[in-house]
Amino acid sequence: MDLETFSKYGGVNRVINYDVCIGCYTCEEVCSFIHEGKGYIVLYDIGGGLNKPISCFHCAKAPCVTACPTGAMHRDKDGAVLVDISKCIGCSACLAACPFGIPEIIPPGFATKCDLCNPLRSEGLTPGCVSMCPTRAIVWGTTAEVAKELRVRALKKLIYKPVP
Amino acid sequence: MKFAFMCKKGQAGGRGKVAVVGGGPAGLAATGYLVCYGYEVDVYEKLPLAGGMMMFGIPPYRIHRDSITEGIEDLEKNFGVKFSYRTKVFCGEPRHDEGDEFINNLIDLKKIVNEYDAVLLTTGIWSSRRLGVPGDNAKGVFSALEYVYSWWTYELGYTTHKPPVGNKVVVIGGGYSAIDAAEVALMKGAKEVYLTYRRTIREAPAGEYEVRRVVSEGVKWVELIQPTKVVVSNDKAVGVEFVKMRLGEPDETGRPRPVPMPGTEHVIEADMVLAAVGEIPTPPLNTECDGVKVDPKRKTIIVNERMQTGIEKVFAAGDVVTGPSMIGKAIGSGLRAATHLDHFLRAKKVV
Ligand SMILES: Cc1cc2nc3c(=O)[nH]c(=O)nc-3n(C[C@H](O)[C@H](O)[C@H](O)COP(=O)(O)OP(=O)(O)OC[C@H]3O[C@@H](n4cnc5c(N)ncnc54)[C@H](O)[C@@H]3O)c2cc1C
Ligand code: SF4
Ligand code: SF4
Repeated sequence: MDLETFSKYGGVNRVINYDVCIGCYTCEEVCSFIHEGKGYIVLYDIGGGLNKPISCFHCAKAPCVTACPTGAMHRDKDGAVLVDISKCIGCSACLAACPFGIPEIIPPGFATKCDLCNPLRSEGLTPGCVSMCPTRAIVWGTTAEVAKELRVRALKKLIYKPVP
Repeated sequence: MKFAFMCKKGQAGGRGKVAVVGGGPAGLAATGYLVCYGYEVDVYEKLPLAGGMMMFGIPPYRIHRDSITEGIEDLEKNFGVKFSYRTKVFCGEPRHDEGDEFINNLIDLKKIVNEYDAVLLTTGIWSSRRLGVPGDNAKGVFSALEYVYSWWTYELGYTTHKPPVGNKVVVIGGGYSAIDAAEVALMKGAKEVYLTYRRTIREAPAGEYEVRRVVSEGVKWVELIQPTKVVVSNDKAVGVEFVKMRLGEPDETGRPRPVPMPGTEHVIEADMVLAAVGEIPTPPLNTECDGVKVDPKRKTIIVNERMQTGIEKVFAAGDVVTGPSMIGKAIGSGLRAATHLDHFLRAKKVV
């Protein structure tokens, strides 16, 4: 995909395969370690003793980017949705627009969210949560790669019988 | 898993030599961090393979083994990490912990402390609490941990001894180990599996969802009962006597205290009893080793806010410091300890 298409529709995305996630907190702990104590993939207790993580999907047509009045919420060259804090005015438009409640406004007053480990990606590395998830529940890549991986997993489930 | 998630290749070494004692998630995450910062790391592990509870406790259908071995091989091949398997590290008279039957070598912790620039202790919780009722040492009574790791070591080919299957199995406990033991017992062919807990499903540490999941697979859930003794005949367990419980006032943990109801004793027949009433930390020392100290009550290694023990170059992390927790918490703890260890060695170099 060329850069222009990327910046318009997104290139990478990341999905969490909740079927295989065991709620072990590795993604949250690794994320908060990388980001000096603030985790951007966070688990919540959704009742019944189930804890599951949620984070930014880096949507292809991200409503937060559309809603942002200053252009602070933008897409980088890989297609990840990021906040440029020098432009952010902390108005919460992104939070209101996001269907998943992902962006947060933190002191002194700017939005913050998952940056898909921008520093790691710039060195050709994978986001920390993806690298460390023991169950490979977090799938990352171009939308085509993510789709392929999920289809292969679906096929394996259809074809292999569970081994006792 | 890529434990060295922070770099592609290790920095040219020379930063120092570090020994990691215990190759579970805490130790492996710390190793990944340290090799990225140019340290040479040796891992000492008493089992025949690293991964800790992820490899030998949690069932492979929940965490695929190749996800863990991929990370171990990456550390070995691309970062020169040396793994010494079947090697138990201990200070003084070695205590017997679970999994010790795989050991070939015993190394003195003091020797390791002398030979390395810094040491990280991440030995986890490899000892199960006993039931503490008469008959709890009869044949047919196992700890849940022992039962599950016996299956995984057998399936991986590290032992030819096939664990027993059990006909009627009674599991005691309401945490992860209890759920796993019950599910494994059922999968391996037990006719009937009872999962028994002294509080109700709402208080079960494994959570309501997990309990309902194994119940849907055929496990029988019985709540508000507590064992009073294992019924033994010819040294073998033939059943468990339980007393019914009711929920009383909240205890120090905030959960309602289970109170026995005298006169409600009854027996559930069983030829196998799996005790999942908690695991205890297993530091590589008894009470003290040259300044490294163990909390007498919790059995955890005592560390300061920089995760340093009484010996300044010896750090500790994971379940052996926090008590039983979760993979992610152990990984976070290992990463933080590695950072402190790195700062400590850098500060020493500058001085
Ligand atoms: C049955 C079971 C199921 C669980 N299920 C889950 C789950 O679903 N999700 C979750 O998040 N957590 C689960 N947990 C908890 C989780 O596994 C632990 O919190 C985590 O593995 C702790 O990591 P660790 O590195 O501190 O210790 P461990 O994983 O225990 O690793 C310690 C390592 O040190 C080695 N060792 C011990 N003593 C010595 C010695 N003296 N010398 C050399 N090596 C030594 C051990 O062999 C082991 O490899 C479960 C635990 C159990 C027992
Ligand atoms: S690391 Fe993976 S398995 Fe663990 S909570 Fe996160 S997504 Fe789930
Ligand atoms: S913050 Fe919300 S709307 Fe924006 S890309 Fe992430 S998930 Fe989509």
